[in-house]
Amino acid sequence: MIEFNKTAIGFKSTPLVLIDSLKLDKGQLYILIGKNGSGKSTLLNAIVGIQDLLSGSILIDKKNIQSVSRRVLSKKISLVKPTFPQTDYLTVREFISLGRSPYTNALGRLRKTDNDIISKSLEILNITSLGNKFTSELSDGERQLVSIAKAIAQDTSVILLDEPTAFLDYSNKLLLHQTLKRIAKETNKCIILSSHDLELSIDTACDFLAINTKTSELTTLNSPVSKQDLLDIAFDSKI
Amino acid sequence: MNITKKQSAFLIIAGIILPLLCLTHLFSGQISIESQDFFDALFNYNDKSMSQKIVRELRIPRMVMALIAGAGLSLSGLLMQTLFNNPLAGPFVLGINSGASLFVAFSIMTGIPLLNSGLGIIPSALIGAFVFGIIILFFSAFVRSHISLLLVGLMLGSFTSAIVFIIQSASSSEELKSFTMWAMGSLQKTELSQLPIICLLFVTGVIGSMLLIKPLNTLVIGEDEAKLLGINHKTVRLLIISITALLTGLITALCGPIAFVGLAIPNLVRIVIKTQNHFTLILASILTGGAFILVCDILIQLLESSIHIPINALTSLVGAPFVVLIVLKRLA
Repeated sequence: MIEFNKTAIGFKSTPLVLIDSLKLDKGQLYILIGKNGSGKSTLLNAIVGIQDLLSGSILIDKKNIQSVSRRVLSKKISLVKPTFPQTDYLTVREFISLGRSPYTNALGRLRKTDNDIISKSLEILNITSLGNKFTSELSDGERQLVSIAKAIAQDTSVILLDEPTAFLDYSNKLLLHQTLKRIAKETNKCIILSSHDLELSIDTACDFLAINTKTSELTTLNSPVSKQDLLDIAFDSKI
Repeated sequence: MNITKKQSAFLIIAGIILPLLCLTHLFSGQISIESQDFFDALFNYNDKSMSQKIVRELRIPRMVMALIAGAGLSLSGLLMQTLFNNPLAGPFVLGINSGASLFVAFSIMTGIPLLNSGLGIIPSALIGAFVFGIIILFFSAFVRSHISLLLVGLMLGSFTSAIVFIIQSASSSEELKSFTMWAMGSLQKTELSQLPIICLLFVTGVIGSMLLIKPLNTLVIGEDEAKLLGINHKTVRLLIISITALLTGLITALCGPIAFVGLAIPNLVRIVIKTQNHFTLILASILTGGAFILVCDILIQLLESSIHIPINALTSLVGAPFVVLIVLKRLA
């Protein structure tokens, strides 16, 4: 699904994340962990192609993301950003419908299948009732759910989520973990979620991607994972 | 994106009011003209009749120009607001008008052969608007904040007027007069024979914007998001700037600089119909903008016997307070 080859990611001459060789599989939910400033967002931006690589390559479905057009890439990979756009007069449903842009015609007309997919992504996250609200009226937590619904509507085989749970209450965090895990398995997607919720992620039996705090190497840890291991690798702390 | 009942009602009402305003505009003015003369002027023209001559040479061009100036500037404003994700953007504040003015000044008052040759005002204004569009686009890549971009636009405007002043002080009184006449702004200088090409350029701009509805709708949530949704943002940016330059340059060349329409009307439209669907926004901005300038010009003609108000002054009188209101509403 996603392959890294001698990839270095970061800014100018200071690499943040190094990946010698790594393959991420379909049907999996990975939790990306790392210290603040360790390069989690930068890594996700690099996978989605809006951050240039320092060296090496990233392949999706055996194709180098740097050489694939944005239009093609937008059908393969989506990113939920940690910030929500400040926009007046945009309803939740309209916002989520933008996730269908890669599939609609030049005028952006939604077909029946598009509308069905939008309704379904609202249902999956239990936010159907928000559909006709303006996005400017939502709470921070609701905005995160709405952003995730947009990514689900985009229906890509890779979904990246950049700290999507920061504002969510416990039950929504749990729901999100379980839902994403189920979506990954049922629809054979590769989902990467950056998060600081170690306990919750361990409890829901997720696999981890940890940015090593000493070497900047990205390592995979398959479930079951012990909290101490995670702390040792990603946070370099004995708690 | 769906159109609600309220939005379609707005479009229908605006669509009915606009032709009525056009008619009112045609019949306003110092000299009263019979409807028979209007009919004859169009379909059975007799160049000996004074009334028919007035219709063809004054009334119709002025009405069409008012309509196109309002519609075109509002549409430009809408496009720029979406492109820069900034409700306070517009062709005037971002200096697109200044670009057109500068190149018109070059064309009228300098001896630079390339600029004052047979090209005339319209192409100079178009080139100026486009060049300044590219400049502001260039700056937008570096300044992240809304306010900074507006400041860059304003500085661009001041810088340009300084150059224009210098050119003015160095030019002959004849050139100076013709530039000042142009810069005062007027809807009356267009001739009937120019209308077909003007309409063609305007319609090109409108159709071009309609073809950009999908990228415009995605740009509403930010350029990065639009990129992630597969929009080729570089091409789209260039197309939007080209359309804005085409419309603003054209209108500025013909009517002089007209302030605040491009900034105020799209905001008014958004506040009233509450949508980000650009199909509706484009139509509503065109209709409302056209109606606004028609009303302004009808007012000007009503007051003409006692006081002469330039169109630019009237739009500023109405537009500036409205923009302050928007700012206050945003801060509240």
